[in-house]
Amino acid sequence: MTPGMVVLAQEVAGGNEFTRMVVEGLSLGTIYALLAVGFVIIFKATQVINFAHGAIAALGAFVVAGAATILDIPGRWIPDAPPWISWAGAVILAMVAMALIGTGLERLFLRPMVGEELFAVAIVTLGIDIVLRNVTNDFIGQFPRPMGDPFGIEFLDLGPFRVAHTQVLQIVVALIAVGAITMFFRSRLGIAMRATAFDQEAARAQGINVGRIFSVSWGIGAVLATLAGVFISMFPRRSTGVDQATAFFAFRAFPAIIIGGLDSIVGGIVGGLLVGFAESAATVYLTFDFLGSGFAGIVPYVLMLLVLVVRPYGIFGTEEIRRV
Amino acid sequence: MRGRPLMHTRYQADQALMNTGTKKTLLVVFLLFLTLVPLAVVPGFRFLAQGDWLRLLSEVAIFAIGALGLNILTGLAGQVSLGHAFFMAVGAYTAAWLGAPAGPFFGLGLPIWIWLPAAGIVAALVGVAVGPTAIRVRGLYLAFVTLGLVFVGEYVFRNWTALTGGSQAGRTFPPLEVKLWREEEPLIDFFTPGSWFGVELSAQAKTYYFLAALAILFVVLAKNLQRTKVGRAFQSIRDRDIAAEIMGVNEFRYKLTAFGISSFYAGVAGALFAVFTSRVIPEQWNLLLSVEFIAIILIGGAGVVSGTILGSVFVVILPRLVENFTNWLAGVAQQETGLLAGFADLFVSTGPGNFGFVNTQAGVAPGLSTAQLNQVLFGLLIIGFLIFEPLGLYGIWLRIRNYWKGWPFTY
Amino acid sequence: MKAKSKWLAIFLVLGLVLAACGDGGGAEETTTTEGGAVDTTEQPTDTTEAMTSTTGGEAMDIATDVGVDLEAGTITVGLLSDLSGVFSALVQVIVTGHEAYWENVNANGGIGGLEVQLNAVDTVYDPATHVQRYEELKDEVVAFGHSTGSPHTVAINEQLQTDGILAIPLTWYSGWTDPAINANLLHHGVPYCIEAMNLIGYIQEQNPDIATVAIASNPGDYGLDSAEGAKIAAAEAGLEVVYDGAGLINAADEATLTEVANGIANSGADVAFVTTSPGAFGSIFGQALAAGYQGIWSGANPSFNPALVGPDSQIAEPLAASSYWSAYTSVWTSDTPGVTEAKELVADRLPQPTSAVFEGFVEASIMHAALQAAYDAGDLTQAGVLNAAKSLDNVDFNGLGPSEAYVGEANDQLQRTSLIFQPDPEGLASGESAGETVLEAEYTSDIAENYVFNEACYALEG
Repeated sequence: MTPGMVVLAQEVAGGNEFTRMVVEGLSLGTIYALLAVGFVIIFKATQVINFAHGAIAALGAFVVAGAATILDIPGRWIPDAPPWISWAGAVILAMVAMALIGTGLERLFLRPMVGEELFAVAIVTLGIDIVLRNVTNDFIGQFPRPMGDPFGIEFLDLGPFRVAHTQVLQIVVALIAVGAITMFFRSRLGIAMRATAFDQEAARAQGINVGRIFSVSWGIGAVLATLAGVFISMFPRRSTGVDQATAFFAFRAFPAIIIGGLDSIVGGIVGGLLVGFAESAATVYLTFDFLGSGFAGIVPYVLMLLVLVVRPYGIFGTEEIRRV
Repeated sequence: MRGRPLMHTRYQADQALMNTGTKKTLLVVFLLFLTLVPLAVVPGFRFLAQGDWLRLLSEVAIFAIGALGLNILTGLAGQVSLGHAFFMAVGAYTAAWLGAPAGPFFGLGLPIWIWLPAAGIVAALVGVAVGPTAIRVRGLYLAFVTLGLVFVGEYVFRNWTALTGGSQAGRTFPPLEVKLWREEEPLIDFFTPGSWFGVELSAQAKTYYFLAALAILFVVLAKNLQRTKVGRAFQSIRDRDIAAEIMGVNEFRYKLTAFGISSFYAGVAGALFAVFTSRVIPEQWNLLLSVEFIAIILIGGAGVVSGTILGSVFVVILPRLVENFTNWLAGVAQQETGLLAGFADLFVSTGPGNFGFVNTQAGVAPGLSTAQLNQVLFGLLIIGFLIFEPLGLYGIWLRIRNYWKGWPFTY
Repeated sequence: MKAKSKWLAIFLVLGLVLAACGDGGGAEETTTTEGGAVDTTEQPTDTTEAMTSTTGGEAMDIATDVGVDLEAGTITVGLLSDLSGVFSALVQVIVTGHEAYWENVNANGGIGGLEVQLNAVDTVYDPATHVQRYEELKDEVVAFGHSTGSPHTVAINEQLQTDGILAIPLTWYSGWTDPAINANLLHHGVPYCIEAMNLIGYIQEQNPDIATVAIASNPGDYGLDSAEGAKIAAAEAGLEVVYDGAGLINAADEATLTEVANGIANSGADVAFVTTSPGAFGSIFGQALAAGYQGIWSGANPSFNPALVGPDSQIAEPLAASSYWSAYTSVWTSDTPGVTEAKELVADRLPQPTSAVFEGFVEASIMHAALQAAYDAGDLTQAGVLNAAKSLDNVDFNGLGPSEAYVGEANDQLQRTSLIFQPDPEGLASGESAGETVLEAEYTSDIAENYVFNEACYALEG
């Protein structure tokens, strides 16, 4: 690298705007979908609106960054393995750690609140969010922490579509996660969770340990949030890694949750993808001068407000019928 | 009857805002205290007369006004709103638009008795316009809608440069003074030192008096609301909304009214806040500000006006206390030895490489900064109060009061 | 269990209140957060030397009002710093520089035997807090060693003029050289708009074939001043501005970063000049790269942080190969006496080499010169220090940065010499450098040389 020598601009490679928008939309959509599904699982099982989801995602991403780059776990124990194995190991370790933290949070802060008003519990999660976010941001420091993933800035060209390796990973992992969730809900524990979500008292009467269901649901939610956090902090979206703004990212997933329906997992996936595509399309096509900067960032909220006017319970949500 | 303060023989006595003699005395003492504080005559509280403490107290008054609004919405009517910052912003920019002197930014230069109520009214109208989207549905949808409002508001204010000055910049706000109509010399002005009734006062003291008086006015209004028909309707919706609807309380209309009233308070508080700090950037009206108000009413005690005041004092003064406390700890850690110093050293980091939870040095050192420590304490207090003492500081006061009332009996 | 915790909570709260009241009710707020650090590392022998020299020099005819305590022998300088906000990583290191500098000066006699103590407060990069902190400190310090943030300094500028206090802005907004604004402010370093002219001029010298430029920045004085400079430079150099995203970047809003990255990529410009914070810059760079953009990158100095080319950074290589930056002071690998001395003083205070610490030395040197001049004139009041500062005509930093003058025409005072560097990932990884490879130690482009400065490049509003 001779100082001063630089490549001049060439033809802009990488497909036209439309294909880039599709890839971006898919990538963003899967992140929102992961966040939404984690949130919905927690809500369905425990009736708790978890405002701390963003902080959990950021903390999860930080744990991965710490394990992969600072502590070099499990890389230091298997030095001969290819880098993607040690990075995958770091992610899995982080997922386990965050699952424990999620269950711990539930046990410590939310178990005493069982039976209290919904809004009080929601505010408790807001408090958890504040604490967790500030502690995580302090660990992260002022400069973003890179994820240490081995995928770098490589691209894959599938026809007209130019997809980064990291984006391929996102989509693959999201599919695996959805598959795993579906299979989980067919297992004993999964059926027990569905029963609890349907009617807590009846489930208890059947002998289901509702407390354990709560913990498991928070654990799963935390794991999904961690995955989402990791993907947010990778190339190309935030090539520098997880930083202090990552914790606020999850707030943009709330419109996806509302649009899909607070208590529907399918709704979470559909809502996430919908919002992801809408935002990506807005970034590319809605760049008029009078809109200023950042309009694409509030497109999810505008969509949410519109959907609330037309169909307040979301596309797949269960309607609450009340006759007075 | 003497000795039986709670035995009321007339309806008015039962409904009175101050229904016992003790309450009346305490109120008088409190008002006297508020009036004498800036004059540095109250023993033990002389430090409050310093300029920066008076500024803090003025901030307490402004936050109290805003929190009263949220208390009406959340504490009385039971609707959770995260959008308080948005309505404050609406109020602030309305005030700027109407009251700021004409200059690089649009301003009409109208006097305070126009822009202050207008700030509240416009915010209330916006609230009433936006409310129906979420109020139709039960549950926490209002929280999500207001969350969206805050973000949409941030976008709008950041980009509407002509109104707000643009991102990171800010604009001029109307000065804090009372004029009759655009004349040159204000009737009363609050930002230069002067003398009232023969007493020399600094600018901060005058501002403090004005804001404290406004706060007291709004406190009286809020307390009064609780005992009116509207207030009772709010409380019935909060407690059992289906039963309320059966009884004929039009849930939708009253929820909207609560939202409107709370937005009015927020608008006024926002206008006063902007005028008081005089340099507000559009990024300031963010989710964290809304959460601060929620913290105030929860820590103080939701639904209770005295709780809101306690909460405002606590939340606004807490950062100052924490800073003093950690600095004192840092001093102890560095200069003394012994058990306390050891604990202090563990807690506070005094230099790069020295472990500690809190970093009081300005240079590079591990640990939370005091600003982050404040936030963490906020969060822990919110969680703690909600789990252990849902009635907040007011609940703690109740326990202390009942303990003494019942002493030597335990209940 | 619940009852016990309640009482614990009550006692904790009471304890906090008592501790704070005890502290606040008694003495004035002497939160000398730095005082402790300075004191404990004093050399006893040096202090006695200083003392003997002061018994003659501590003349009783030094006028003082605020911030100077002749009996205790201290001068207090305030620092309005961003210790937990967006630029805190930078500012914390700068404050460390101040501390190291004054510790050294105090050990060698201080200012006529008076010790300088620092009072650094956290403004969280929020203008309202900045104003509040200013109000708190203005009756305790003789001057402000730095004030972080352009809009923040503007917010207190009027009050500074009313109160007659000196402040050194910790920003490089060109307005600080503008006599209409800078009555109480001391500029230092190359302003953002001149920096942009130097960078674009240098890039054009090295790559004469370039024809187009894309410009993007944060809003506010910082971003728009730099963008304005880039536009002026482009016009002078004959380059076409094919994308103008000045003021569009909002580091906290993902969507704006994607918008700007797409805009730059779609425009296909030869040069992308982006002024923002490092994290946002990294994100824009990565996304533009993903969209296939391959041009030359540059921007104002605060947009770059060596961690962008750190060992784990995905974009280290492409960024190092395709970007040019400038520095306001010398960098870690510069071979000047000032740098060598400074490196020794901060050796055990910094976890890793960071060139930003020299900024602290530069600011502290300016304050030192001002205080010394005021002391020599026998007037250590706030107004006295201000006057002394405004009559300094040559402040030299011994190679830490270009020398400054505060008298004369604005056009002559204007600093036009930049240090140009490229990122150095290998040096950073090995610890030899702080991430910079110096290309030119003292460079002034023709555009900057010929620019006539009358007022700030970007006019403040309101």
